[in-house]
Amino acid sequence: MGKSLINRKMSKNRLIFGGMVLAALVLLPLAVKNAYMLHLFIMAFIGIVLGMTFSMLFSAGLITLGAGAFYAIGAYGSTLLSTRLGLSFWAALPLSTLITGIVALAIGSIIVRHPGMAFTIISLLFAHVVIQAAGQIEFFGGWGGIIGVERPDPLGPIQFTTKTSFYYLILFLLLLTALVFHALYTSRIGRIWRAIKLSPPLAETLGINLYRYRLLAFVIASSAAGMAGSFYAHYFQMITPEAFGGWLSIYIQLYAVLGGLEFYILGPAIGAVIMTFVPEYLRIAKEMEPIITGVFLLVIILFFSGGILGTLQRFWTAKKTSVLSGKEQL
Amino acid sequence: MTTALFIQLVVNGLVKGSTFILIVLGLDIILRGTKILNFAHGQFYMLGAYTLFMFCRLWHVNFLLSLVLSGLALVLVGALSYLSVFGVVQRRFTATTPFTYRLLMSAMASVGLMLILQQGTLIAFGTAERGMPSIFPQIITFGDVRLSLEKILIILFSMFICFGLYLLMYKTKLGLAMRTVSFDPEIASLQGINSFWIFMICFALGSALAGVAGGVIAPVFAVTPTMGTHIIFTAFLVLLVGGIGSYKGAILGGVLVGLALSFGFHFLGGISELFVFVFVIIILIFKPGGILGEVLD
Repeated sequence: MGKSLINRKMSKNRLIFGGMVLAALVLLPLAVKNAYMLHLFIMAFIGIVLGMTFSMLFSAGLITLGAGAFYAIGAYGSTLLSTRLGLSFWAALPLSTLITGIVALAIGSIIVRHPGMAFTIISLLFAHVVIQAAGQIEFFGGWGGIIGVERPDPLGPIQFTTKTSFYYLILFLLLLTALVFHALYTSRIGRIWRAIKLSPPLAETLGINLYRYRLLAFVIASSAAGMAGSFYAHYFQMITPEAFGGWLSIYIQLYAVLGGLEFYILGPAIGAVIMTFVPEYLRIAKEMEPIITGVFLLVIILFFSGGILGTLQRFWTAKKTSVLSGKEQL
Repeated sequence: MTTALFIQLVVNGLVKGSTFILIVLGLDIILRGTKILNFAHGQFYMLGAYTLFMFCRLWHVNFLLSLVLSGLALVLVGALSYLSVFGVVQRRFTATTPFTYRLLMSAMASVGLMLILQQGTLIAFGTAERGMPSIFPQIITFGDVRLSLEKILIILFSMFICFGLYLLMYKTKLGLAMRTVSFDPEIASLQGINSFWIFMICFALGSALAGVAGGVIAPVFAVTPTMGTHIIFTAFLVLLVGGIGSYKGAILGGVLVGLALSFGFHFLGGISELFVFVFVIIILIFKPGGILGEVLD
């Protein structure tokens, strides 16, 4: 009885907090008039979606280094649909999400069979090969990429010509993804994923089909990355293979690790925002950036393995228990 | 296709293959011994090439001696990075730590190391390609087949290293200890083996192999800061083809991928990498653990 009361109080607090954050995000463009700042927010939000896809696979016990591949597939799919077939953004976005999902199903049905190291390595190779394919094959625009991707058509009175409109669009997509992911995590599927991550053999004894549920996580997460890619293509109005290669997949993981691995939605959110804004404010020389990222990563792994949220939570519970034990002594 | 061209392509494939074999054996020893997926391995390879370049070109040391020295330098780099990073991460693991978490933490640590080494080299040496004169510029001619002595020596050298590794792994007490630790560190501890030191030795040995591979290849190709990033993808491909955790598989995979890339580049150009990837995926459908490996979780 008492416990449920506490839970209700906590979830009420949580609701209030979430509502405040949401209101701040919705009102943000009114306060921020600087177009570049809005651009950074848009990029951070794309990063959050990508980080959440990494976390979803992590929640099912899979470690991917290929989130960038599906981001690229979504972007290329959407670009080709709109430049070659003349589809509008509003048709290309769901279609390219679907296409990414189908590709993920085809690739995943082979590679999810070997979870563990083989999966991690193949996902990395897949990301590499997707970029190579985009660069080598003329149909995909070659290394020069494709320019002149259409902006989204006006939606009623809303014209997609300013950064503010794109900000609201990506905010909507981000919240949609977060809601769907949250619903999945709190449902039976999410609990099964957690069981698989905790101990695959134990989950199997409970009658869980490991392969099917891992594949489900892979397809859902990859589709979300594809959706982010579609938005990216129409926001930048051009795509090049380099935008999806290089360190991208590594940065995506870094978001999740930095924010807190066990926080599947808030972790990537905090990580992506920090990794987008901190380098901007420090104004580091561009060539020092990878070194600082590397040192940052090592420091987190060596000293704060729970990430920011995990460390805060541990600090918080430690404080609480120390207060309790103090009372007992009295 | 003439016979001469065919032999030339085979030799080129074997030269590529023998560097892959050295790199992948190092990767495999680290993976099997310490369970670390080492993304910084390509950077160790690059560092090997740069140390050889420094010894040989800047300080005019004899080539073979500088090869040994660059191997030793990489032993030091490997041991230090194990002591300062991976050892610390692994000491935190307990018996109940999930496998996913272990894999992610050590892999991410190696990614951090990779970023630092990569960009550090770039800043220290610049983006310019460093060339080295060929050490053995002689050309051997059989009829109309012309082969450079250097390439043949590289193939022989990597066979020599493979044989040495075989002796180390299967004929010495250290090799027995390494194999025991890779089987189960706790059982190894019960036999009085200090797992931590063996982990460190595995890591240092693996790094040294990558360094030697870089050193061997330095006189043939240009030394660039990005050479490590390029090779690591192919190295992982070789690892998958042969099978993770199989030394024979690493050798077979190295030869197969080396030949496939050599013939592919000649007949298809840059797109051959895609075909090799598709080929690997097809192999994995039928042989989930690679050609000679077992499925590892």
